[in-house]
Amino acid sequence: MPTQIVMDANGDSRHSFDPADEIELLRAEDRFCELLKNGYTAASRNGSGSVTVTWTFDPAAEETLFYPRLVGG
Amino acid sequence: MTVSAVIFCAISFAILSYVARFGSAISDFAQRWLTGSTREERGVRLLREWLSPDQLESFDRTRSFVVVGCDSGRRYRISYGVQQNVYEIDQGGGEVTGLCFVPEGYLVAGDVMLSQKISLETNETATLKVARRFAARSGTNAGALISR
Repeated sequence: MPTQIVMDANGDSRHSFDPADEIELLRAEDRFCELLKNGYTAASRNGSGSVTVTWTFDPAAEETLFYPRLVGG
Repeated sequence: MTVSAVIFCAISFAILSYVARFGSAISDFAQRWLTGSTREERGVRLLREWLSPDQLESFDRTRSFVVVGCDSGRRYRISYGVQQNVYEIDQGGGEVTGLCFVPEGYLVAGDVMLSQKISLETNETATLKVARRFAARSGTNAGALISR
């Protein structure tokens, strides 16, 4: 089941959804858009383990990771 | 305000503080019980899931791993930590310069390191624009911030 992983103060929050369920799919897409609007970066992995950054919601992505905007330390 | 009112307020405050602390402890316990881990451990677990096999082997051995910048091909060593933990390295593994950049908000070390890895591997140029540079530890001004 596809999972959205959002980094947060508790380590991470995980949101799995059923892509065949319209309501869950819409909720997942809304979460994706809202996080990007708030400065998060979305990254997904392919089967070989290589990571790509994505700017569009892909309901087929098995795992999408979101991390907050980077700032200089 | 009467003395009894002051005492009442003080006792109420003490009770609320105790409940808040107790609630936090309960929350930590519940999280550990439900997930079998603390947030630091969960951060490391997530990091390990996303590392390549070589990076994972290095991390398990040295608590650090090397990433290759997607634009320049330069190599960077990311060590366990949440600040001043990224160094550009030369061919021999020597530190060239330090790079300080972190995700906004309070995140645990595993999450910070994973963000740093992904950003250097997928968007190196933009990441370097954000990062503040500091002298490598082997330098004479180790740890001192220098210009970007």
